[in-house]
This record gives sequence, structure tokens and C-alpha cells, in this order.
Amino acid sequence: MTRDPRTHRQQTLLDRRRALWELGGGLGGIALAGLLDREGLLASSTKGPNHPARAKRVVQLFMSGAASQCDTFDYKPRLARDHGKAWDPGEKVELFQSSPGNTMAAPWPWRQYGQSGKWINDCVAPLGACADDMAFIHNLVAKSNVHGPATFMQATGFVLPGFPSMGAWVGYGLGRLSDNLPTFVVLPDPRGYPPNGPKNWSAGFLPAEHQATMVRPSAKNPIADLFAPKSSFVTAQSDADTLAALARLNRRHESERPGDSRLDARIRSYELAAKMQLSAPEVLDLSKEPAHVLKLYGVDSLDIEVKTEISEKQEIRYFGRNCLIARRLLERGVRFVQVWSGADNGFPRRNWDSHEDLARDHWPLGRGMAHGAAALIQDLKQRGMLDDTLILWTTEFGRMPCSQGSKGRDHNPFVFTNWLCGGGIRGGITHGPSDEWSYKPADSAHPTYCYDVHATILHLLGIDHEKLTYRHNGIDRRLTDVHGHVIKQLLA
Amino acid sequence: MRAIVGLSFLAVFALFGPARSAETDLFPAVATILERHCLSCHDAKKTKGGLSLISLQAALAGGDSGPALVPGKSVESLLLSQIVGIKPRMPRGGKPLTPAQVQIVNKWIEAGAPWPKSRILEDHAEAKELWWSLRPVQRPALPVLKDSSQVRTPIDVFLLQKLQAQGLSFNPEADRRTLLRRLTFDLHGLPPTPEEIEAFLRDNDPHAYDKVVDRLLASPRHGERWARHWLDVVHYGDTHGYDKDKLRPNAWPYRDYVIRAFNEDKHYSRFIEEQVAGDVLHPGTRDGIVGLGFLAAGPWDFVGHVELREGSLDKAITRNLDRDDMVATTMNTFTGLTVQCARCHDHKFDPIAQEDYYSLQAVFAAIDRADRSFDADPTTVQRRKELQDLEAGLNRRRGTLNEVIHKQAGQDLAALEEQIEKLSKIDPGIPRAEFGYHSQLSLRQDVEKWVQVDLGKRLPIGTIVYVGCHDTFNNIGPGFGFPVRYKIEIADDPDFKDARVVEDRTKVDVPNPGIRPQSIKVNGQQARFVRFTATKLAPRMNDYILALAEMIVLTPEGTNGAAGVPVRAMDSIEAPPRWRASNLVDGYYFGIGKPEVFHDLTTLQARRKDLLDRSLDAAARRELAAIERLQIDLNGRRAALPPEALVYAATTTVKPGSGIAATNGKPRPIHLLKRGSEKQPGKLVGPGTVACIAGLESRFPAPEGQPEGQRRAALARWLTDPRNPLTWRSIVNRVWHYHFGQGIVDTPNDFGRMGGAPSHPELLDYLASDFRDNGQSLKALHRLIVTSAAYRQSSAFRPDVAQADAGNRLLGRMNRRKLEAEALRDAVLHVSGKLDGRQFGPGFKPFGFLDDHSPHYKYEEHDPDAPDSQRRSVYRFLVRSVPEPFMETLDCADPSLLVERRNETLTALQALALLNNRFMVRMAEHFAHRVESLAPDLPGRVAAAHRLALGRVPEPAEARLLTDLAAKHGLANACRLLFNANEFCFVD
Repeated sequence: MTRDPRTHRQQTLLDRRRALWELGGGLGGIALAGLLDREGLLASSTKGPNHPARAKRVVQLFMSGAASQCDTFDYKPRLARDHGKAWDPGEKVELFQSSPGNTMAAPWPWRQYGQSGKWINDCVAPLGACADDMAFIHNLVAKSNVHGPATFMQATGFVLPGFPSMGAWVGYGLGRLSDNLPTFVVLPDPRGYPPNGPKNWSAGFLPAEHQATMVRPSAKNPIADLFAPKSSFVTAQSDADTLAALARLNRRHESERPGDSRLDARIRSYELAAKMQLSAPEVLDLSKEPAHVLKLYGVDSLDIEVKTEISEKQEIRYFGRNCLIARRLLERGVRFVQVWSGADNGFPRRNWDSHEDLARDHWPLGRGMAHGAAALIQDLKQRGMLDDTLILWTTEFGRMPCSQGSKGRDHNPFVFTNWLCGGGIRGGITHGPSDEWSYKPADSAHPTYCYDVHATILHLLGIDHEKLTYRHNGIDRRLTDVHGHVIKQLLA
Repeated sequence: MRAIVGLSFLAVFALFGPARSAETDLFPAVATILERHCLSCHDAKKTKGGLSLISLQAALAGGDSGPALVPGKSVESLLLSQIVGIKPRMPRGGKPLTPAQVQIVNKWIEAGAPWPKSRILEDHAEAKELWWSLRPVQRPALPVLKDSSQVRTPIDVFLLQKLQAQGLSFNPEADRRTLLRRLTFDLHGLPPTPEEIEAFLRDNDPHAYDKVVDRLLASPRHGERWARHWLDVVHYGDTHGYDKDKLRPNAWPYRDYVIRAFNEDKHYSRFIEEQVAGDVLHPGTRDGIVGLGFLAAGPWDFVGHVELREGSLDKAITRNLDRDDMVATTMNTFTGLTVQCARCHDHKFDPIAQEDYYSLQAVFAAIDRADRSFDADPTTVQRRKELQDLEAGLNRRRGTLNEVIHKQAGQDLAALEEQIEKLSKIDPGIPRAEFGYHSQLSLRQDVEKWVQVDLGKRLPIGTIVYVGCHDTFNNIGPGFGFPVRYKIEIADDPDFKDARVVEDRTKVDVPNPGIRPQSIKVNGQQARFVRFTATKLAPRMNDYILALAEMIVLTPEGTNGAAGVPVRAMDSIEAPPRWRASNLVDGYYFGIGKPEVFHDLTTLQARRKDLLDRSLDAAARRELAAIERLQIDLNGRRAALPPEALVYAATTTVKPGSGIAATNGKPRPIHLLKRGSEKQPGKLVGPGTVACIAGLESRFPAPEGQPEGQRRAALARWLTDPRNPLTWRSIVNRVWHYHFGQGIVDTPNDFGRMGGAPSHPELLDYLASDFRDNGQSLKALHRLIVTSAAYRQSSAFRPDVAQADAGNRLLGRMNRRKLEAEALRDAVLHVSGKLDGRQFGPGFKPFGFLDDHSPHYKYEEHDPDAPDSQRRSVYRFLVRSVPEPFMETLDCADPSLLVERRNETLTALQALALLNNRFMVRMAEHFAHRVESLAPDLPGRVAAAHRLALGRVPEPAEARLLTDLAAKHGLANACRLLFNANEFCFVD
């Protein structure tokens, strides 16, 4: 069996943990916390060496195509004042596709919400109700102005393909909470994959057990290979008998070959698979949800057809359903759920990349996202799960305060917005303002990078981001590369 | 023959007695202490405190504090007083010497400090001591064993030495059935057939095993198996990756090259040369071009390379990361050095400076990744080469004739040519947005499209000039949309009922002229309309078009009759300002010379011709005519050659329309980037490599004007130099890794300080030197390894071995192996009787495909019985953005990553895939169908299935279990079970 040459104590430890997984599924996850604790790998904390993790699970809401910050959460009165006038930030501006047009205000009004008085645009107004639970960061900066690399960066911490997704890292670091469901689940936009496709949620060089399981509720088989396709010979009874006979043959084979734990682990993997066959369909079956919950999420029908064009009504259904499924997954022990809004770049537009007509795309996408996200926050809260469930809203970069053409906005890698909620996050605050146009960070010397957000999330999960490493091709890789600072201001 | 090898190396043992007894002389020990601990400050160059200790004289002369040494009187010697005590003054900043070391120095001084006269010491400070992988490869002597009864090859001697030191030995040899299954999976990636097993069991020849090895190595299946390993390492894929993950339809010739190379047992140095600089070191050969697919194998950011504007920061980032991939791929693959760690700073662990890293980037500074043409058939390569030679000869004749012509035509000709030269070099000016006329897109290339101008009235036409487009928006560059075949007609009827063809280029493909204005003489014929018709359109990304920047219709007097006239086209994309039909006659095009200039040029050329006609003598005229005739003949013969094929490879030129601003061989400047940031370029860096290999030059000469390929050739020579220890250790370790599941160094891509240490350094060097010096044959290496007793031993668990060596680094048993994704899939096909053994060619696509902005890859739409898709997995079309879920779940290599070793996992998703994936279920049906014809009754069929899948007849209990299942639920369910059995998925 091939293994990493672990020279560090830490890696030997991680190897031991891997062995625990292979041997005992959920046991590994539980044993792990103790192991991490004993070996001093848990995040150091001001409260002492044994501070408990604040969050157990994570939901990442990913707006593909680059959601505009200055039309959603980052309120800039100056844009309304200078609307239609030439935009001059006082320096040469290099845009992805176009030359800078005039200053452009958000197409819709802004209102203040909650105790915090956070300004939120009508485009995402449903989230206003949750403003006091949310913490905003308005000075995120991307390292690429191109969708592919920039999406990789937010998803994996690197602009290159091949690195593990945050969900894979979290699974690697914390193990599973449930025997019956995968650790990391992704719900792509029903219309298709974001740029880079499933590489955004791959395990990279981490063992394949940390890759995401894709769930596509609208597909004929929402989880690939969960059940055999229609055939002339596979029935429920044949499956049961085949698995029983397989176990007997495999046990016999194993008994003649002592000393190889893999043979047992493989037998166990078929037992786990059978459990998953029972649990997964139940999670996806929304028919048992009470009507008021379905209504909360905007799921007005369980049979949702997939259309290429964007409409507000459709967006509410798509995103709401995925958020509801996310909640059900989290409830049943999935550790990391990634929900995407927006598919690949193509026409008609089906993502947030509003070069031509911001109002046309952002309104339906924004309303749909905000409806579902607000429902998720409220629902988790009423179930007492928001305390240890962390929500991250992100996108690959922002959009320019000036117009492209007359109605669109070009890419803005210099500033964009993230927000976090739940699981140890201090609600109702805004950290790291952007400048008066939301063109760059107000303090250009101290931007926030995804490294900082990732470090903060790992911290809340009880992991020191500098210690969660995996040796690949001679380098101890981290989710946060060689960067990252926990953003203390965001912690409750 | 192998028996003789065995005898000869046993004889070698006799030559080496036990190690020499210890020296009584103390000086060598003292010299070592001084060299390791003192001379880094006290050698001839750095005499700290004025003291040098390189020779007795120097030590006696002493430094600022006086003599270091008083022979015979250690107490009076500073050398001793400085190093004794709990906190000695010396070595400064280093660890104190051990009491034993101090004692040696003491005794030596007391003994009169004997120092051989000629001996000058050198600094060998411990910190600077070479890391194991950087030391020269030394062919070690074979150790002497206590018990050599298990020895079959020299490999066994090295391994047994360590085992025996722990009181262990190899397991007994595995039984023949196990051995054949192990060998066949290892060398072919397939299971043996029951017939092959029977034949081997029955073969009484003492060389039966060796014969099997030879048979397997000679089969074309071998290259397919081992090419897959190589493709892991070089991260080969059939799409670009990233967003807009476009197909790479011409990547596969490189994959086929690797398969052929392994089957042909290509000399390893040649294999390296072809992949790094084949175009330079082996010009005129197919493999010299196709091998360059290596440098292009990895991911490529389409948006960054094609859509970003030239000169933008993101463009610089894209190119930097692209070269980084080439550097990392080359150096990790061939040397096991993680040079990519030195992109932002000097390597933190290994002696690799940031400048070394950027000098490696400079090696690849002129190349991009794109389709490159080559001749697939070696005889065509030969014929094309002959034509090239002929043309060179013709050019020499032309040169000689030119001298004669100039002598005979005198000053007038020189003046005329100077004018022509000047006019031809007129600045094309600043690109403007009005690119030209652009037809609608066509999905087929053989559709006709035309565009015509209306001169308003019949005009005498002298010359028609037409110019290709220059699309600067996406860097598509010169010649965009220029058709492959076309004709030009003139007419008086707007619908060309009276068309007269004045130029016919419809018979053979025309090379794209870029933005060079093309002209034809019409000799004053009169017409009102001029029509340009493409008969074979220009390829774009995935469709075909006609685009043209300008059409100029010159009267014999040289006025342009077409300026601003009405333009009509069969169809047109009207997207002003860039594209509209009227751009065709707007007087603007991005090219050499404006209409009037062009007129002057044609006039001058006509005058030149007249002058030659007048002044040349008969012989010169004859020669001129002969050369012209030969050139036409040559062109014809070249056109008659089979068309060239394409491979996605490293190249300095790209065909128009690909959207890449290629270098055309001029290396891009490479700066050392501070902290790896494109925003902080430092000094310019020339080509070179790492400086940590003794005796090899690390900076390559790069005089102005040197062809860029010489940079890559220099790197190839550095890699293949016999003195480069990394190359040889790396390849033998890789091969070992795949045979045993674990390398002698268990980090095949990292031979640095963060990598693993060799478990058997002498064995590694034995293999490396043997491989390097004896033909560089990978097949010989395979043979040496698989015929060893170590390889042939059983994988049975042994408590004593497990206790002493849990990781089995000492190989006291064979490792049981889990089948890789490809071997498993191929075995399923093979056992089902469905394996399609056709070799080579484009990969099969196990997905539904929908091209779009970002293409869609839909695996769920694939039918496992679709034609081609039952070929071996090495021929699978590898998509980077959307990996095939089935294979990914089985831990196949990620083509976005350099995969030195695969992960090996056992997950519930894997179990589900093997049970339920449509491919598995369908193959279970085929398998059942196959065995139905092999026996008349169910028990016989179950037994046949068992033999096919697992290579043995079932035990009675197993047979009963399977037969019961088959009786109850059908044979296909028993077959499905066999595919999921541990015994099927593991190889003992």
C-alpha cells in the first residue's frame, strides 16, 4: 500500500487518522478530535489550548460569474450621486473586456435593515431580515481577473487547477459526522457547472474519499451510481442476495490473507454503501417537509423543471430547493455543503457575469439567492443549528462601479464582498470597507484575501490553518498556501 | 543466458574481501575533523583571524593569535585549547566537537602532528555536504551475504543484505498461478487468460518464467500499460482545463508516441531528447516533433492565453504560470527536483536558487502550446526532408546565379532592388478597428461563400490586390479567415452569368499568406464586377468562415477603381466597426503597403524583369528558367505529399486564427520575479538550470540571434549527461515504484530534503549505473526487476517481517496490489470478452458532448456499448474540468496534477460505482452471455466465469454460493458479484 513518507509527527498523526477512517468510518471522526487535541494540533486560542470548535458544519454559497458587490451589499451613495457622469478614480484602469464607461448606480433602491442598520439593495432584500446575523467583508481582493483561475482561488485557495476544495480540506481535517452520508456534498446550479466544472470541488491531491458527492435533484439519478440503472437482472432482492454472497466470499478470501487491513476496509465499504442507499433518498425526499417550510424556501412545487433562461420565479425555486436540501443534509451529518448559483458562461446568460445587462441577470439571480439563503438562515436558527453551522457567501470577484456598454458591468478583481453567518460569527457587523466607489479596498495596503476567510473558517472549526497540511510533490500544502490571518473582528 | 548472468555476478563476490582494517595513522581522522568543522572559516580564501589550516605550514605560521599548532605539545597548541571545554570558543557558531574528536586531535598533536607533505585540506563543512541524490552515481560493489540461497539477481543481494541483518529473508516463491496473474497485470495491465495459465502451469522448461516475461515484454499491450504510468507523471489530458475547457483534438499523437516508445524500447536518453528538444536534436523525424507533446501535456488557460489583451497584467500571470508548468513538468519528471518551490524565493530546503528557477523558465521562453504539424508516416518524413534538401540546393544555385545576374545587370539592378526592398518594408501602421468583411459561420468547410465589388462601370483592370485580415482584438492575428481554396472572377453581369475566372486556387490548398497583399495580373481585361469566392473556407475554432480585409482593383494606370464602391456578399456578419462588408473597400487594411505603394511595387518589379531580359546572357537566362522550372516541379511534388498530421505540442509558431500571439522563435524576456509577483520584475535571466550538480554547467550560452531551440537542446543535454545523477536515479526508481508499489525512494518526484530517503541507496545506484551504462533499455530494467527473487516471492503476511518492518520497505514479502482504475476497467472488458484491442488514434469519448462557450461533457449520456468505447482505458479521452466520475472514484490520475504516485482509497462511493455504474452492469450481462456458451449447465458456467475472472476454479463452497445466486437471480448477478470480489480487485 502506498503512503506518504511522513517525516513529521503531525503527518504520522494524520496517517493514523486516515487508518482510523479506513477501519472504522465514524469512529475515526470522533477519535480524531481527541487525537488532534492530544497532539496539540487544535487551533490555539486566547481562551486556552482546549477551546472547543465554534462550528461543526459549513455551507458555502457560491455565486458563479462574479456577483456585483455594489448592487447588492456594498452601499455607495456616491454612485447614485455621480450616476451617468464620467468615472475617474484617478488612475489608469485596466479592464477585462472593455474601456471604463460612466459611473453607474445600482438599478434598484437601497434600504436599511435591523439593529445594525445595514444598507441592503432591493435586489437581495429578503436577506435584510437576517442582517443582524450576518457579518460582511467588503474589501476582498482576487488574484486573477479571469473566471477560471479566480473561481479556483475562492474554491481551493489557488489559481491553478488540481488543488483540493475547502470542503475536501475540512473533511480531511475533521472526518465524518455520519456513517450514512458523505462528508462533502455539492449542489451545482441546475443548469450546469460553473467555470472549471467539478474540478472546483475535487479532492485534488487529497485521497479521493474527500471528494465531493454531487447531488442533482432535478436529474434522473440525483446521485450517480447510487442504484443500478434499469436492467433485466438487477432487483432489490437480487441486490440484497448479491451483497450477502459477496460479503461471504470476501470474508473467506480475507481469512486466507491475514495482516492486510484493506481487505476488511473494502468489505466495510460495501456495508457503508448499503447504508448510504437507505439514507440518501430520504434526504432528497422533500415531500415530508411541512408546507410552511416549503413555503419559507419558496419551493412551490416538488417537480421543478430546468429552463435555460433566468427568471425570478425559477431562481427562487432552484436556489430555495437546494438550500432546503442543504439543511436536510446538514441535519443528517454532512459536514460541508456547497451550493452554486450560476452555471457556465454562455448565452443566454445563466450566471452572474453581467457584462451586457446587469438588471436583466442580477435581479432574478439576486432575488432567488436571497430568498433561499434567508430561508436557510432562519430555518437553521429556529432549529438551533445556526450556532454551530457556518455559512459563507462568496463569488470569484466583483464588478466595476462604472458601466460596460450602457447597462452592464465589467470584472472587478480589486474589490468584492463576502459575508459570513452563524457558527461563531459576530452578526451585524461590517469589516474591511471598500473605497467610495467600491472599486478598491478603502485601505489598499490591507485587503482581505480568501486566505483570511479560509483561515477564519478553519479556526471556527477548531483547526489551525497553518497546521492542516498534506505533503504533495515535496511541499506541505495548505488550504491557505503560505498566507492567511484569522479575522478576529468577525468572531463572536 | 540468465543463468550465466547469475554465475558471473556470484564470481564478482570473490574479488572483494572484507573491508580493510582501520588505519593506525591519526591524520586522516584529524583531516576530516578540520575539513568538516574548521575550514569553512580557516581555508585559504577565508582566513578568519588570519588563520588558515589547509597545510602544516599554514597551521604553524598561525594567525593573529600566533601559531595554531605546536607539534608534540598539545597543551601549548591553540588548536586544542580553542576546542576543549563545555563552551569551547571554536567552532564558532557550530556544535562543539565531541570529546572523542577532541581526544583524536589531542593524541595527534602529542604524536607530533604528522601531516603528509603534499596534503592540502579543503573545506568540506557538513552543512555543505552534498545531499544523497546530488552525489555522483557510483556503481557499488555487491555485498557479501551470509546466505545467498535465495539470490536470483544482483537486486536480491542488496535486499537480502538488509533483511539478513535483521534476521529476516524473502518469503518463498509464490505459486505459478499467482505469479502469472501478478506479471500479467504488472506488465500488461490485464489478467491472464485461463489458457495462458494452463500453459504456464504445464511448462516444465526451467526457463518457463523467463519465457513468460519475454512474451509479455514483447507484446504491444506492454506499452499501453506502461504509457499510462508515464502519462500520470506528465499530466497528459485531452482538454485544456480551466474555464472554457476546450477539446484538444490533437493531443493523442503524443500518447501514442509514449506507447510506441515503450514498445520499441526506445533508448532513454533519446526519449528525453525527443520530449524536450526533439525538433532540434532529431530534426526531420516524426518522433522529434510528436515527443514535444510532453511540454504541452498539462493544463492551459484558454481565456488567459486567447482572450486577455496583450500587455495586461493577467496576460503576464498567465504566461508565467504556463512556463511554470513546463519547468515543473520537465524537472519533476526527469530529475525529481521540486524546482517549482523556487518561484517566489530560493528553495527552502534544496540548493535551488530563485535565479536557477527563472533560468529554467528562460529555457522555455519562446514556446507556446498549440497544434504543430508533422508527418505521421516515416517515409513521408524522408521525402519531405529530400525536398527540403533539394530546395536548399536550388537556393544555393539561385544565390550563385544572383551574383552572375548582378554582375551582368550592373548598378541599375542594384538600385531597382533597393527601391523594391524599401517599398516592401513600409510600416504597416497602427492597427485600426475596421478589420474587414466577415462571412456568416458555416459548420462545414466545403461550402462556397463569395463577396464582390461593383466598380460602377466597365473598367480596364490591371491588377487585383486582396489582403487577409489582422484581428488584433483577440490576438487572432494575421490571416484570420483567409480561405484555404478560392477563385477570383470578373464579370459584367452582377450575378456572374458571364464570369471569367482570372485566378483559380481551387485545386490545392493555399498556405495562409497572413497580411501580405496578394495580387494577380489581369492584363487590362474590362469588367464591372469582381468576385472573390472561397471554395474551402478558413477554419475558426469549431466552424468555418471567409474573411477578407481589403480588395483593390487597380487600373493599368494604377488608380483603385474599387475604393468605396458598393460591396455585395452571399452573407455577412455586420458588426461594425470591426466587421462589415463595406470595410472591404474602405482603403484601410493592416498590411505592408497601401494601394499606391503596391502599384509602385508592381511597376518596379516589372521593370526589374525587363532589365533582366535585356541584360542577361543566354547562359544566365537558361539557368534562371531552369531554376524556375525546378521550383515549380518542387512545389508540385511537395503538394503531392500526404497532408501533414497535427500534434498538440510545444511550438514557436501557431497557425493564424488560433488566437495566440506566438513568439516566432524570439524568446520572451524572463525576469526574476521578486516574491514570484509579476508586479515586481527583477533582473533579466538567461537560460540555464539548477547549479547543484557538480561538473555540469548550469548556465547555457544564449548569444544574440541563437535559435531558441538551442536552449532546450542544452537542457536536454544537461538532463542526459551521464554525470547528472538525478536522471538515472529518477527513472530506475520510478520503474521500481510501479513494480513494487513503493519506490526505493518513496517520493519519486522529490529527491530533495523534503522527500524520502532511499531505503537501499546502493541498490538504487546499482540500478541507475547499470541502466545508464548498459543500453538505457527500460525493458532490460523490467526484466532485471521481475526476474528477481524479491519480485517472485509470495505476498503472504509474515508476523516477523511485519514486526520488524511494518511498511515493508525491506521487501520481506511482495506487496499485494490493488488494481488501478484503468487495470480494473480493462480487466472487466477483457473478462467480459468485450475488450477492443485496436491500438492508437484519437481517444474514445465516454460522454455526450455539447460545445458551448464552455463545452459540456455528459457522461450520463454515454452508452457502454458505443463503438470504440470498449478500447483500453489508455485510449480514453481525458477531460480535465469534468473527470469521468467512474474512473475518478477509482483513484485514476488527475490530469491537472503531476501524479508521481496515485492515491489508493476504499470508499463507499467506490463500492457503489463498481456495483451500479452502467458500464459495470452492462459488462456483467456480457460476461454472463459469454460464459453461457462455455458450458452446458449452470455449475459449469459458474466455474468458467470464476476461472475467467479470478484465474482459478472455485472451491466447492464458493461454487455453491455462486451457483445458488445464479440459479435464483440469473448468471449476470453472479458475474456482477465476481467483478466486485476482493480477489478480483487485488493482485497477490
